[in-house]
Amino acid sequence: MTQTQTRSPQQPRPAPAPASTLLGRLSAQNTGLVLAWLLGVAMLVLYLALFAARKSALPGNFELTSTVNNTVPLIFAALGQSFAVLTSGLDLSVGGVMDVSNSLAASQMGTSPGGILLWTVLILLFGAATGLVNGLLVAYGRLQPILVTLGTLAILQGLALKVLPQPGGTTPPALTKALADPDAPYGLILVALACLIWFVARRTSFGMWIYAVGNDRVAARARGVPVRRTLVLAYVTSGTFASAAGIMLAATTTGGDAASGDVFTLTSIAAVVIGGVSLFGGRGSGIGAVLGAFVLTLLINVLFFASVDPLYEPFYEGLFLVLAAAATTLAGYWLRRGQIGRGLR
Amino acid sequence: MSTVEHPERGGFALLSRMKPDRRLGLYALAAAIVVFVVGQLIQPGFASASGVKTVLVVASFVGLVAAGQTLVVLIGGIDLSVPWMMNSMAVLLTTAAEGSSLRAAWVVPVVLVAGALLGAVNGLGVAVLAVPAVVMTLGMNGVLQGLTLGLTGGFTCASCGSSAPPVLAGAVNGSVLGIPGQLIIVLLVAVVMTVLLSWTSFGRRIYATGTNPRASALAGVNVRALTIALYALSGLFAALAGILLTAYGGKATLGMGDPYLFQSIAAVVIGGVSILGGRGHYLGALAGSVTLTALISVLLAKDMPDYGRDMVYGVAVLGIALLYGRSERDEA
Repeated sequence: MTQTQTRSPQQPRPAPAPASTLLGRLSAQNTGLVLAWLLGVAMLVLYLALFAARKSALPGNFELTSTVNNTVPLIFAALGQSFAVLTSGLDLSVGGVMDVSNSLAASQMGTSPGGILLWTVLILLFGAATGLVNGLLVAYGRLQPILVTLGTLAILQGLALKVLPQPGGTTPPALTKALADPDAPYGLILVALACLIWFVARRTSFGMWIYAVGNDRVAARARGVPVRRTLVLAYVTSGTFASAAGIMLAATTTGGDAASGDVFTLTSIAAVVIGGVSLFGGRGSGIGAVLGAFVLTLLINVLFFASVDPLYEPFYEGLFLVLAAAATTLAGYWLRRGQIGRGLR
Repeated sequence: MSTVEHPERGGFALLSRMKPDRRLGLYALAAAIVVFVVGQLIQPGFASASGVKTVLVVASFVGLVAAGQTLVVLIGGIDLSVPWMMNSMAVLLTTAAEGSSLRAAWVVPVVLVAGALLGAVNGLGVAVLAVPAVVMTLGMNGVLQGLTLGLTGGFTCASCGSSAPPVLAGAVNGSVLGIPGQLIIVLLVAVVMTVLLSWTSFGRRIYATGTNPRASALAGVNVRALTIALYALSGLFAALAGILLTAYGGKATLGMGDPYLFQSIAAVVIGGVSILGGRGHYLGALAGSVTLTALISVLLAKDMPDYGRDMVYGVAVLGIALLYGRSERDEA
């Protein structure tokens, strides 16, 4: 199947799964999410096993908390990304928003609680504003998301360099203490918060519209879904989450770097795909994106404990990404047996 | 799609009678000329013969990568594996040829075939496993990056022979009748691409598939084979660009391909190739690479700092996309 961002009405929709059993129906509809859970559990077991084999002990609170803390920026970036992807779009500017947020946090926040709070709000507003620009260009400018966000990505990367020309600056210790304390499970609270936001958003009309728009824009419009407003809101959400991820990245790395967010453009997409959200839109769950972020972080840990040369890391990540995406497709076809011949053209 | 002719006013009748592909290609060409004129006004000597030649040579590398990118974009795909495809093939060239011109005779074809095969793997993933093109080529980029970094140990050391074979450097940097060898190669590619897209049934199949994959499959196009072939060609062109860039600079360095992802996509868009597929021509993308490179050169000549360059890039892509990259009004 060639990759087209929008589905034209002539193309047939995938037939609904046979409703023979409840379990069958659930798993067929949420193939990606089920696979993401399986992958997550498998990676966790692998990580624990390797850790135990290397250190002859199970990871303690410190290791687990740092793992969660290191995952938090990606979780927020990926959750934001999933909103854009669910509308059958893509947000490549995630990395750029994180660059700017990270640079701002490291260079402007100061140490006073008032300053920290003010800049946190300002950075979140900046992320929302960037998302608004993306969304307006996609929805009202009728431009392809990949193009729009590629353009804003370049602009944001330039902006980040302007804010923080050299890596440096320090994030206020209070911020690190609040968001990424290795001795207290605040990271877990942030993960819970991300999941809670998803659960709530999913049950609002906006959450429903996102799926409608991602599945079939023309039908959604005919049904009275405000397609454009939904698109704009999806990118605003993605931008806001990305700026939050940038702040958390600054908190975990305790310093600023105008390029440190760049990788998150790709890893957030990878997390979303591994989490079973379809890049064709309309299928998947934000919880999958959160799981995908965990899987990717655990993968890095597993490679570390397997003594893989860090230079080979991109190789395994790339391979893993492709295999996970292929597995999702194949499992989907397998669960919707009888569609195999027709589904694959 | 936009085969419906839009009635236009006044002296633009000729332009409006043109096929959209050709019109957008002309716009890209006009944009390139405008950039040269503005460059000359800002920096006298910018549009001199030697100045133009320099820009064209630099643009030709983008143009080569854009050839492959155009092909996959024409069927609604995208190739994000370009940076490390170029880089890994460049490293393969220098390490296998060991700086010897004799070895280059068989190493160059091997590298080109390797690029095509790796590209075909991209195509297989997209066409057979139904992995979205973004994911497949992103994964391939990671795989190639990891392999290149891992196998070279992080840097191309002096003893691993990272320098280009002299015969290649001679071919690229030398000139025939005052035209640099590099430009001749790109001109040949442009001719081949034009023939392929405009005068062969292969080209017609590409446009048909890009416009409506299902209809063209029903009309007897083997969409899977076509997809695999186009991604293979994209890999081939990226490998060729990697070889020539190594020959041009004399060395293969890690990270040398990184700028070419953004630039190849930007060139394709500026050249009027629709990112949705089915519309556009390589000649437009080629003009787009010249526009983009000329723009960068003007900014460099003005001592524009890095951040300003990035921002101008972004604004240029968005502005040009808003001018003529918009989709039809049917969906929202």
